[in-house]
Amino acid sequence: MTVTRPETEVAPAASVSPSKEPPKRFRLSNWDARYTPYLIIAPFFLVFGIFGLYPLIYTAWVSLHDWQLIDGDQGFIGLDNYVTLFGDANFWNALFNTLSLFVLSTVPQLLAALGLAALLDRGLRGSAFWRAGVLLPNVISVAAVALVFAQFFGRDFGIVNFLLGFVGIDPIDWRAETWASHLAVSTMVMWRWTGYNALLYLAAMQSVPKDMYESATLDGAGRWRMFWSITVPSIRPTILFTVVTSTIGGLQLFAEPALFDPGFAANNSTGGSDRQFQTLVLYMYEKGFRLFDAGYAATVAWMLFVVVLIVAVVNFTLTRRIAGKG
Amino acid sequence: MSTRLVGSVAATLAMVLVAGCGGSSGADGKIELSLGLFSDFGYDKLIEEYMASHSNIKIEQRKVKMEQHNTQLATQLAGGRGAADIVALEEGVVSQFRASKDKFVNLAEYGAKDLKDQWAGWKWNQGTADGGEFVLGLGTDMGSLGLCYRADLFAAAGLPTDRAEVAKLWPTWADYAKVADQFAAKTPNVKFVDTGRNVYKAILDQTEEGYFAKDDSYIAEKNDKVKTAFDQAAALGTKGQTGALEPFSQDWNVALKQGSFATTTCPAWALALIKAGAGDAAAGKWDVTTAPGGGGNWGGSFLAIPKQGKHPKEAYELAKWLTAPEQQKRIFKETGNLPSQPKVYQDAEVQATVNEYFNSAPVGQIFATSAESLKPTYRGTKDSKVGPVFGTALTRVEQGKQSAADAWTQALKEATDAAK
Repeated sequence: MTVTRPETEVAPAASVSPSKEPPKRFRLSNWDARYTPYLIIAPFFLVFGIFGLYPLIYTAWVSLHDWQLIDGDQGFIGLDNYVTLFGDANFWNALFNTLSLFVLSTVPQLLAALGLAALLDRGLRGSAFWRAGVLLPNVISVAAVALVFAQFFGRDFGIVNFLLGFVGIDPIDWRAETWASHLAVSTMVMWRWTGYNALLYLAAMQSVPKDMYESATLDGAGRWRMFWSITVPSIRPTILFTVVTSTIGGLQLFAEPALFDPGFAANNSTGGSDRQFQTLVLYMYEKGFRLFDAGYAATVAWMLFVVVLIVAVVNFTLTRRIAGKG
Repeated sequence: MSTRLVGSVAATLAMVLVAGCGGSSGADGKIELSLGLFSDFGYDKLIEEYMASHSNIKIEQRKVKMEQHNTQLATQLAGGRGAADIVALEEGVVSQFRASKDKFVNLAEYGAKDLKDQWAGWKWNQGTADGGEFVLGLGTDMGSLGLCYRADLFAAAGLPTDRAEVAKLWPTWADYAKVADQFAAKTPNVKFVDTGRNVYKAILDQTEEGYFAKDDSYIAEKNDKVKTAFDQAAALGTKGQTGALEPFSQDWNVALKQGSFATTTCPAWALALIKAGAGDAAAGKWDVTTAPGGGGNWGGSFLAIPKQGKHPKEAYELAKWLTAPEQQKRIFKETGNLPSQPKVYQDAEVQATVNEYFNSAPVGQIFATSAESLKPTYRGTKDSKVGPVFGTALTRVEQGKQSAADAWTQALKEATDAAK
C-alpha cells in the first residue's frame, strides 16, 4: 500500500493535538476498517479449520497407514491403500453406482424443480400453501422417507408392484436388479429435494424484472420461449448454485440407499446382494465401520472428495455454458 | 450489576463444564454405571432391584440395535471414551473384539475365574482369551437351535402337525429338504422357509469348525462342511422354496404377519422376534420342535467391561450378579432367553416352562435338550467379516441372479479377501 489515502493528509490538520502522532481515535478506526471484516469472518474459518480442514488432512494421513478402527495405527504404508483401491472392482462398482444414481436423481430433479418453480411463479391461488407444500418432503426426516419408500418398493407386498400389476407388469424385485434399485433410490432423492430446489428457483424468478416479459410479449414471444430465453438465463447464478450443491449432495448419497437395503440393520449391508446400489459412501461405511479398516475407508473418502471436486467443476462449467447461451 | 452478571455467567459456565465432565459420579455422590445393550436382555426389573439393594449405585441402560451397538462400541473403544461401563458382546462378534482385548478389563483380576464352573465349558471359553488367562466377558444367554413351524400350514399341506412327529420328519437337513418338496407340491403359494440364509447359518452352527479351524487359520475353501451347508441352503433357494427375505427385517415381519412362510430356524431368542412379527392373530399357529441335524448354537452374548470406564470394580460386581444362575433363571422365565449355564437349564422349573404363544410348546425342555447335545462352532477372529459374504451369495441365488455354483465361487473369492 504505497498510495497515500487523502484522509492521511487531512487528519493531522483536523487534530486538536499538536503532537506528531496520529490521534488515537483515527488509528483505531483505521485498524477497524482494515481488520474488522477479517475478524468477523474469522469464526467461520476457525470452525471450518477445526471441523473441515483438520479432518480432511487427518483423513489423508490415516489413508497412508494400515489403520484399524479399534487398534489404531498399524504402520505407515505409503500409497498402498490407493494402489489397492485402483484395482478394487468394488470401488469402481460403487463409483459407477454413485454417478448413475447422481445423474438419475439430479437431472430430472432440477428440471422438475424448474417446472415447478415456473408454475408457482404464475401466481396460483393460495400460493403460500403451495410453496410450503413443496418444501414439506424436505422437512420430513430422511429415515422416515426411506422407510416408507422401502415399503412402497417392497417385492412381495409393495404398493408399486401392486399398481404395476394393473397394467400387466410382473412384480419387480426392486433390490435385485441394478436399474430397478437405482430407479427406486433416485425416486426417494427426487421426492426429498425437488421442492427445495423449486423454492430456490422461485425466489430467483421473482427478482426477474417483469418488464422484460412485457416487452417479450409485445414482440410476440410465447410462454415457452420466454421461459428459456428470459427466465432461465436470468436465474443462472441460482441454477449454478443448485447444480453445485446437488452434485455434492448427490455424490455423497448414503441414507437413502442404506435404508433401502433391508440388510443395513444386520451385519451384511453391501447395498444389495451384489452391491447393486452400493454408493461410495456406503462402501466407505462398509470398510470403515463393518470391517473396521479405517485406513482403507479413509482412502475411499479421499477419492470421493476428488470425485466430487472434479464433477462439481465439470458441472459448473457445463451449466454456465448451457445456461449462458440464452 | 455488571460484576454480578459476570459472576453468574461464570457460575453457569462452570456448572455446564462440571456437568459435561462428570457423568460417572452424580451430584448425589452415587456411582453411576451404564449398561450398553441391544435388543432385550430382560434386565429392567433386575436393575431396579440391584439399585434398591445397593443404595450407592445408579444404573442406566442404553439400548440400541445390535449392528449400531457393535459399530458404536468399536468407535468408542478407538476414541477411548464414550463406551458404557458394561457392554454386551454378541457371540458373532466376540471373537472380533477379543482381538482388541487390551481395550477391555481382564475380569480375572477381579476373581472371575472362580465363577468358571457356572457356565457350559464352551460358553466360558468363548468369553476368554490366552488359554483362559484373560477373561473378556461373562456369558449371558445362549442360542441353542430349534425349528419353528406353522402347524396350520403343515396341516394344509397334509403334513403332521404334532411337534414330536414333525421332528421325526427331519432327522437331517436332507430330510428337511424332502419335506420342503412335499410342502411345495401341496402348497405352492406359501414358501417353506423364510430364507436360505437362516438354514445355512443353522447347518454351519452345527459343526465344530466353520470358516476357521480351531487354530484360527482360514479353512472355508477346503472345509466340506461349509460347501455342504451352502449347497443345501442354495438348493432350497434355486427351487424357489425360500421367501428370499432378509432375516429379522421389516419384510420378514410382514411375511410373518401374512403367513407367507411355514418354517424358520429359531434359537431361543428368536421366539420373541417371531411373536412380535406375527402378532396376536397368529397365536397358537406357530410351534417349536427339534432342528434337523442335532444341536447347534446361534447367538447369545457376554458382558464385558471396557478399560475406559471409571468404576471397573463396581461394574464387575454388577455383571457378575446379572449373569449369576438365579438371575439367568428369572430372565428365562421372563423373556425366554436361554441360560448358558447347565445347572440353570437343567433346573426342573426351567425344563417345565412352556410358551403359550407357540401352542404351549415345552420350550424349556426343547432348548435345554438341544443345549445338551450342541457342538459349538469355533468362531475365528475374522468370522464376522467372512460370514456375511456367504449370506449375500445365498441371496443372489434366491433372487435368481446367479447359479449356486457361481454364487459359491464369488463368495469364496470375497471371503478369502476378507480373511486376509
